[in-house]
Amino acid sequence: MAPSAEELLRRNTVGINKETVSNVASTDFPGHFPGEDHAFSIERFRSAFSVQFHRNELNDASFSLIGIDASLANAFRRILIAEIPTLAIEDVYIENNTSVIQDEVLAHRLGLIPFNGGRDGIHNFLKWYKKPEAGEDPYANSFDWNTVRLELNVTCTVNPDAAPNENDPLKAYNHAHVYAKDIVFVPTGRQVEYFSGDNAIVPVNPDILIAKLRPKQTINLAMHMHKGIGADHSKFSPVATASYRLLPLIHITKPIIGPDAEKFQRCFPQGVIGLEKVTREEASKSGSGYEGHAGEFKAVVKDSMKDTVSREALRHPEFEGKVKLGRRRDHFIFSIESTGQWDSDELFLEAVKHLKLKCKKLEQQVINMVQ
Amino acid sequence: MPREEYQVPTAGAGASAGGMTRGATGGERHESRSVMTYICGDCGGNVTLSKDALVACPHCAGRVLYKERTKRMVQFEAR
Repeated sequence: MAPSAEELLRRNTVGINKETVSNVASTDFPGHFPGEDHAFSIERFRSAFSVQFHRNELNDASFSLIGIDASLANAFRRILIAEIPTLAIEDVYIENNTSVIQDEVLAHRLGLIPFNGGRDGIHNFLKWYKKPEAGEDPYANSFDWNTVRLELNVTCTVNPDAAPNENDPLKAYNHAHVYAKDIVFVPTGRQVEYFSGDNAIVPVNPDILIAKLRPKQTINLAMHMHKGIGADHSKFSPVATASYRLLPLIHITKPIIGPDAEKFQRCFPQGVIGLEKVTREEASKSGSGYEGHAGEFKAVVKDSMKDTVSREALRHPEFEGKVKLGRRRDHFIFSIESTGQWDSDELFLEAVKHLKLKCKKLEQQVINMVQ
Repeated sequence: MPREEYQVPTAGAGASAGGMTRGATGGERHESRSVMTYICGDCGGNVTLSKDALVACPHCAGRVLYKERTKRMVQFEAR
């Protein structure tokens, strides 16, 4: 006794009402519906699951995972944010800093700058760095395969070519602003093989402002970069944002015609609701709600994915009982914005790899437990 | 250096504490460097003051003098 398509849609829809949400918990697990088999099987998952890409750029990818449970989708999101390793500035050795920005604030700002470099070097050559214990030599664990050295040496001077009454500090002085592009990468050991030419380690965005200087002020420091994960510090997080939302559903239950249709269209973001003319055929059918409205505009759902689910349509009395809002429970629209060290789509694959590895580890533990 | 490891340098313990208080001004070192260099808060110039000199910048008569930053490297965690 398989449930009807209508029943399946009802089960799969989170209801969005005027002030509440309903039907929020998923019910597709064994034993919930008597006589139905909801046991997880890889074949069933494979046949129901699909991925659709909406946008795939280097720093911004958007795609849909359809037919997946919220627990898995959320696991991917959390792995993206907190568990994929990146390279970031970890130690700052300040020789001199006479700028107005304090040493510790400067160090913190430097740590947050995203860097990019040869992917092979960053992903395969560079390994984890282990912090030396207290009392140990502080550089005992620093090698070319886990530490990247950067330097920043800037001194501000008066620009002799500037007009005497110049008010813009950028023109009156040299190096009035210290940017991320002023950071110099110093390759050590085998890093020359992996990080030379186009593969050099450089800031993703060269125009990040680090500090402002005035003549005679100077910043003179060296930095060590290490690999880390977002769970340790968010500067290691490979994503600017990684989030998902459920596919919005708009169901027009009774016809919305004429000026109401235009008002209905304005209740949603552009492109969500379209206006179509009521055909003579529809108008001639009795009981359709279109009788005598041939040639007038009616509201139709064009692209519900663009909806922000503001519920504005539910506020107006003329639409009461005519529209039902909802979200599809198993349709996740992911949006991943990389900070630049990984490609956005590559990041998702990496998250899948991480989850797989976790499952393998858990499987081994279960096996050990049974033995 | 973690805060817990820091020891307040005193004239008596200065020599015995070893590496931790290296560079701290112990009693005998203070006499040998009786001339100190400061930075004027008004004109930014270097001001050298001896023991009983008037606290003022000779160039601009500014009375706010800043101590010079340490010449040693300072390590920070970028966190």
